[in-house]
Amino acid sequence: MFKVTLKTLRARKFRLISTGFAVVLGIGFLAGTLVLTSTISSTFDSLFADAFKGVDAAVRGEKVFEGDATQGQEDARSPVPVSAVATVAAVDGVAVASGYIETNYAQLVGADGEPVGSQNSGTYGANWLGDTPLNSYTLDAGRGPEADDEIVLDRGGARDGGVGVGDQVTVLNALGSETYTVVGIAAFGDEDTAGGRHYIFFTDEQARVLANQPDAYDSILAAADDGVSQSELRDRIAEVVPSGTEVITGAELTEESQSEIKNALSIFNTFLVVFAVIALLVGSFIIYNTFSILVAQRTRELALLRALGASRGQVRSSVLLEALVVGIVASAVGIVAGVGLSILLKAALSGFGLDLPASGVVLTSDTVVTCMIAGVVVCLASALFPARRASKVPPVAAMSGLLVEDSASSPGRIVAGVLVLLFGAWNLFLGLSGRAGDGSLGAVGLGAAIVFIGVAMLGPVFARPISAFIGWPLPRLRGISGTLARENAMRNPRRTSTTASALMIGVGLVILITILVSSLKASINTTIDNTFKADFTITTDSFTGGLSPDLTRQLNELPEVAAATGIRAVSAQVDEQGGGRSLYAVDPVAFQEVWSLDVTSGSLDDLGTNGVAIDSNLGSDKDLAVGDTLTLTFAETGTQTFTVEAIFDSDSGLFTQYLISLESVETYTSNVLDAQIVVKSADGVPAADARAAIESVTDAYPTADVLDQADYKESLAAQLNQLLALVIVLLLLAVIIALFGIANTLSLSIHERTRELGLLRAVGMTRAQLRSTVRWESVIISMLGVFLGLIIGLIFGWLAVLALEDQGLSDFRVPFGQLALVVVLGAVAGVAAAILPARRASRLDVLDAIAAD
Amino acid sequence: MSDAQPTTSSVAIAVAAARTEGARKVYGRGDTEVAALDGVTVAFEKGRFTAIMGPSGSGKSTLLHCIAGLDTLTEGQAFIGDVELSALSDKSLTELRRDRVGFVFQAYNLIPTLTAIENITLPSSLAGRSADAEWLDSVITTFGLGDRLTHRPSELSGGQQQRVAVARALAGQPDIIFADEPTGNLDSRAGAEILGFMRRAVSDLSQTIVMVTHDPVAASYADRVVFLADGRIVDDMSEPTAERVLDRMKRFGD
Repeated sequence: MFKVTLKTLRARKFRLISTGFAVVLGIGFLAGTLVLTSTISSTFDSLFADAFKGVDAAVRGEKVFEGDATQGQEDARSPVPVSAVATVAAVDGVAVASGYIETNYAQLVGADGEPVGSQNSGTYGANWLGDTPLNSYTLDAGRGPEADDEIVLDRGGARDGGVGVGDQVTVLNALGSETYTVVGIAAFGDEDTAGGRHYIFFTDEQARVLANQPDAYDSILAAADDGVSQSELRDRIAEVVPSGTEVITGAELTEESQSEIKNALSIFNTFLVVFAVIALLVGSFIIYNTFSILVAQRTRELALLRALGASRGQVRSSVLLEALVVGIVASAVGIVAGVGLSILLKAALSGFGLDLPASGVVLTSDTVVTCMIAGVVVCLASALFPARRASKVPPVAAMSGLLVEDSASSPGRIVAGVLVLLFGAWNLFLGLSGRAGDGSLGAVGLGAAIVFIGVAMLGPVFARPISAFIGWPLPRLRGISGTLARENAMRNPRRTSTTASALMIGVGLVILITILVSSLKASINTTIDNTFKADFTITTDSFTGGLSPDLTRQLNELPEVAAATGIRAVSAQVDEQGGGRSLYAVDPVAFQEVWSLDVTSGSLDDLGTNGVAIDSNLGSDKDLAVGDTLTLTFAETGTQTFTVEAIFDSDSGLFTQYLISLESVETYTSNVLDAQIVVKSADGVPAADARAAIESVTDAYPTADVLDQADYKESLAAQLNQLLALVIVLLLLAVIIALFGIANTLSLSIHERTRELGLLRAVGMTRAQLRSTVRWESVIISMLGVFLGLIIGLIFGWLAVLALEDQGLSDFRVPFGQLALVVVLGAVAGVAAAILPARRASRLDVLDAIAAD
Repeated sequence: MSDAQPTTSSVAIAVAAARTEGARKVYGRGDTEVAALDGVTVAFEKGRFTAIMGPSGSGKSTLLHCIAGLDTLTEGQAFIGDVELSALSDKSLTELRRDRVGFVFQAYNLIPTLTAIENITLPSSLAGRSADAEWLDSVITTFGLGDRLTHRPSELSGGQQQRVAVARALAGQPDIIFADEPTGNLDSRAGAEILGFMRRAVSDLSQTIVMVTHDPVAASYADRVVFLADGRIVDDMSEPTAERVLDRMKRFGD
């Protein structure tokens, strides 16, 4: 029996290839994602191993509260006092000890006046660790910094900035726009930078000043004398360090840093894997459909096998064996393709501003095993029902050759479809309403997938009427070719609807994300219109860092400016519970000038150092009123008691529930950087004049962008558009697979209709007319998919906006223009999918076709 | 019963609906070369019902396919009216079949997704024309299909399907109709009915039919029978009867 199957397979290599292609694409993407992540991960592994090669022990503050890992935040730790360095250095067995401090805002300005570094990382600042084993950098040229206005650049920064030893350079930092002299150029091992991250090295004192921690370091690094092990060193140091600090070995530090990166990467990995899963789901529809069609076409052959004594089980396994072979071959090809795809993927992501350090290609055995299993499982699971159907072919069908296809709209199918649909909807409801707790996102995903499957199950029921409706104008427009196309699309409702369902998934998700983004844009615009009184907003492109407080100071001195305040985001733990929350700190008086904050009780005027204004939702959740107290815990200064001074309406368009004053931030944290500055110009000052005045100040800060309200909306919209484009590009894969599915179904149908096509050609149908018939059938199938996707996308979009209403998504927007574009592109895609099958159909030899059995 | 007589007189050529000149069709090469047609010169007169007969492998179907423009000759010429087929592009050939030739096959004659009337008017639909209504009416009436027009092929009996197929072949008033074993798949009663209709199409509606068959009874409906053996014309009989045809066929065994 196996021999028969394998022979059949070999005889139909082409079918095998085109069927497997759907799986190849899905697995290729999965493998590409996994390869990319493991490559990045291994790049970082060796990076950290190199960076901490000479570190045997590290002293750092104890964890104050956990950072939000989903936001890429590290845990909040208290700083280590400078005085501890001497204590550590004095420990027996310590060869050398040094404090280490970093700041993420030390932006080098190149010789051309442009900021150096990639858009999202910029340049970082740290103290120069000198010629010690602790320093993973070695000087290429010059010397280390000795005065506060001297710096060392890494080779990458020096090259990109076009500067060398002895040059004067501008560095934007917490002090303002400062001038330094480059005294040395250093390399990270043999590399120009540490994994693409640029560093500027300052003296210890200057680095601490820039990090706004004049008396403390982030950590103390120590190297051991020969013969002293890392754990021994750790234990010895632990005995003498001040309370509130902890000691770990160099190996632990390396491991911890590596695993932090892995955690951060796993989010990124999950994001991409979701698209691979979508692609595989689409692929499984195609496998299912192909096997169903093949089983139907092979009825006579299967019945003959049954008549000759093959058992049901043997027939079933022969179909499953075929699926298994397809799965194994396609997965293997997919894995190979994935290696290439990982390089493309990296290029695509960096095209969307996500630059990732990755060198070489790392294909782990985990990746191979995961992809193999995924590919084989998808193929086998998809072939399960067709295999069952094959096993039900009665031996007598060998004579008649007729397989009674179970009716497209059998009551069983309708009941099962509706049940599946309801189950999917229930999951969606659980997820969207937040009832599934932490699993909400998973429930939404699962629910959506099940809804898609449910719709596909019900598809055959309405495929006929909808196809008839979609194809309605065709007979008039395209004459007999149109009539035949329409009839062909309607004749196998199950085939048509499964093929269309594959396309429905991609289209539905594209529509959903398009609606979400439009709604988000509309909501943001509404919020800005309602709450934003500022004339200008100053932002920075840089992902890290921010804006020097010096800017706000200078702006407030301008006669053209009525009020300006920086908005500073700080992280703090509330009431000593949970992880870090994002708080905004502002100048409360100036803020009320630039923002229409609807204060429902209390007043923002006297926030002072220990006052907080909270959102009305939070007020009712926590039962807080003006005059009540809560505690905020900061990494640098620990737990502080704050009094609620004001409660503002939650519709005020702030992305936080807590407002504190800049004074508090300056008192309790080392954070000195503004994320944004909002400016109101003085009455009667024309916009152009105000802008000119503001730009005279910001000119010294090349990372600062001055935006008026329209620019600001546009810049937010541009960010969303970038996200939209990225997601659509990733969903495109699912759409492409679905188009292959359409092409595959058409090819199979054409094969089945060989005789009919021969007859049409014999009685005078031209090749062009035949191509047109195939093309329009394809368009009907693709339009059915687009139509179903449109409906599901609209419903999902509406539900999602409804569910996210609390989070500020106030407006539901349907982007009709974009939806129309999707419909048009769907039709074009249908035409494209039909190109090869149509050509094959038109090239059929008339005589062979009418003679075919 | 007379032996083979030359029938390609100059008079016949002048009124031939289709003809061949020295038609040769060779399959394979070298040692495996087989001549399915080996110098066939034959003409089919307008307004007559001609049957082509011969044992299996005699080349009768090949001859039909080549004259009908479904297949190409290796040597020689085939004409529909005065149009030489080998000179035509695929498109012109397709249009010639559509506009000037009718076909009836043994089975699978109809497009399952189209109704009977849509099948009948298929060639004119393909040409983007509407069929001559008066002619169509008379064809439909002749074939007794009036109450079956909106049925799909799956709702028709085999005989009815074949009637629709013959009606389709007639509907475009073609120069000539080629039928390849049109009754091969039918029981004798339905077969007789179809042959009767074909006979009437020639006698009453002045159509031209060339039919390949291996059934002497079917051949007896024709005005003339052309016998083929080993790719050559071996006999030509006018006003055949089933007995005479059967006798002639038996001699192929000798």
